[in-house]
Amino acid sequence: MNESLLFLIPLLPLCCAVIIMVFGMRLPRLFAEVLAVTGVAGAFVLTVLFWGYSEGEGTRAVLFTWLNSGSVDISFALHFDRLAAPMTLMVTGVATLIHLYAVGYMHEEKDYARFFSLMNLFVFAMLAIVLADNLLVLFLGWEGVGLCSYGLIGFWYQKLENAKAGTKAFLVTRVGDVFLAIALLWLFAITGTLSISEINAQATSLSPGVVTVVSLLLLLGACGKSAQLPLMTWLADAMAGPTPVSALIHAATMVTAGVYLLCRLFPLVSLSVVAMTAITAIGALTAIYAATCALAQREIKRVLAYSTMSQVGYMFMAVGAGSVAGAMFHLLTHAFFKALLFMAAGCVIHLAGEENDIFKMGGLTRRGPVELFWVFLAGAVCLAGLPLTGGFFSKDGILLALFTHPDPVYRVFWLVGVVTALLTAFYTFRLVYLVFAGEYRGVGHPHVLPLLMRWPLWPLAFLGLLGGLLNLPAFVGGSETLHNWYDNLAGRTVTASHEVEWMLIVLAVAITAIGWFAAHWRYRIYRAPQENAISRFLLNGWYADALVDRLFVRPFAAMGRFCSSGCDRTLFDGTLNGLAKMATGWSALIAQMTTGRLTTYLSAFAWGFLILLGWFLLKLVSGGGH
Amino acid sequence: MMIPFGHALAFAAALFVLGLTCVLLRRQVIMILVGVEIMLNAASLVFVASSAYWQQVDGQIFAIMLMAITAAEVAVALAMVVYLWRRKRTLVADVFNGMRG
Repeated sequence: MNESLLFLIPLLPLCCAVIIMVFGMRLPRLFAEVLAVTGVAGAFVLTVLFWGYSEGEGTRAVLFTWLNSGSVDISFALHFDRLAAPMTLMVTGVATLIHLYAVGYMHEEKDYARFFSLMNLFVFAMLAIVLADNLLVLFLGWEGVGLCSYGLIGFWYQKLENAKAGTKAFLVTRVGDVFLAIALLWLFAITGTLSISEINAQATSLSPGVVTVVSLLLLLGACGKSAQLPLMTWLADAMAGPTPVSALIHAATMVTAGVYLLCRLFPLVSLSVVAMTAITAIGALTAIYAATCALAQREIKRVLAYSTMSQVGYMFMAVGAGSVAGAMFHLLTHAFFKALLFMAAGCVIHLAGEENDIFKMGGLTRRGPVELFWVFLAGAVCLAGLPLTGGFFSKDGILLALFTHPDPVYRVFWLVGVVTALLTAFYTFRLVYLVFAGEYRGVGHPHVLPLLMRWPLWPLAFLGLLGGLLNLPAFVGGSETLHNWYDNLAGRTVTASHEVEWMLIVLAVAITAIGWFAAHWRYRIYRAPQENAISRFLLNGWYADALVDRLFVRPFAAMGRFCSSGCDRTLFDGTLNGLAKMATGWSALIAQMTTGRLTTYLSAFAWGFLILLGWFLLKLVSGGGH
Repeated sequence: MMIPFGHALAFAAALFVLGLTCVLLRRQVIMILVGVEIMLNAASLVFVASSAYWQQVDGQIFAIMLMAITAAEVAVALAMVVYLWRRKRTLVADVFNGMRG
């Protein structure tokens, strides 16, 4: 096989997206659906077939020269290496299942062509990020996923708040993208190349100050896409989109793009102690912030959205602690169980008659297929970190990396991580109890669940539960497969004595158990929630939206008002209108002189003649004097 | 007997002022035209008189030219008078103020 066939992986979804976009509404519906699923599934099969290419230094494939001007030579190239391969497999695999689910979920939607073409286009853009050989291709994908995210959040744009949520997501992530663009241009200016591997190779020769600033800019870019503090306000609102979109874009793939970016440029970023600490601090703050917000949410998808932010915060902490393998491990397991949870939540919402509020659910085990409870529980225990699930091992690896970090400040971050784990267990089981336990409290009529919405959950449930096998730590008899696979890309090797590891495991188990029992004690029997200041504070996400509104939106609007009505309308328009009015006034005055009457003109003639005559006479007289 | 040049000029000036007065004071289009004719004749008289005074033929040529021009002008002007009468059934000049600004 030829290595340029690697391009088929991203191009297959792109071609399907274009075909559906152009012909989707003219073809039979079934054809568009099959095409959408085939495009992504084909990419998955190709990734499996090409797996061997990723070994060693990976394989580069150049499709064509993109920009060539003087010393600048940027080609459209892919790099299929050990970091990209598992991510590609995850993206295409999870996307295939979600596309199948979406066929069931959207079976009544009339505008299916727009939906599926955007979904396939998203997969293409995401694969461009994952497989990019240079930062320009990565940036292309980076903007592409933002565009598709915008289009899909506001998919039901007839409702104003959906459209507004899409715009908000687009604008907030755009803030991060600006910083990323600055970082890219800066890197290009100082290294003269945009190739990721060359930048990483040159990283040690750059001055430490520049590396720190560039790394912080990259971090801000990653924060925008990954909904980390301070650019996190968009993710909770992004839940306005259809549920498959939330599962694919806002849980499994796009929000982890920031983590992937930092892992890709890890040799550069890891050189700066400041940047690494900042990454960990932002991850820790976001993790605890989002976990507290999730405690008080009423909408099932918003709980999951905040938990996504929190889990991505863990991944940032792992990168900051130097453990790329740990970050990617958690990224993969999280993608499985969070996609599962979102898709199960979509089923739950269907069963509750399109009701989002978990306080109006309850007793859903008896209203729908009982298997739904089991798959939801599988996702929930992974999220809560119940021992032996995938989420348990990946989260534990991150906490271990934080605990064993030589810098003492990382102990604080570790503590934050532990508290977050406690909160996570609590809100996860709160969700499970409120949705499934007790009696049904809502009024909605259950919709029938199509078969396609049920069976894609099973593979994800198994992957989530057994995800720990990907990177089982050595002291429980595993071989750290993922860590060994990444080899020299894996970052810091975490070494700890077995006592420490066991102590952390016992602590993690205890924490999860405490969270579970607290939720059991509080929510096993339903009690109506009391509204108080704290719950309102948490429900509104610490009033972050209001803060952004006060700090940026309102001053900006005030400035706009000043420029518009103060400068433009008053000053400029006033001056110009004044001049115009003056000219009209004068012309009206002069127009009065043109009466149109012959006699007036004739007498004016005569007067003019007389004046001229008088003038010449005067000349004659004065000329005669000399 | 030669008429002195000064007399001729004085007569022409008097004729011109009479014509001008007629143009300025009368309201009827026809009378204004008559005033214009009188002023033209005054000018014509000055040409002839100066031609005789300086013994040059140019002035007389101009006088003949002037007659031709006057004839053409009267033809056009009278056609316009007929036209104006048809439009408004009056020949008072101030009624035709379509050019008012």
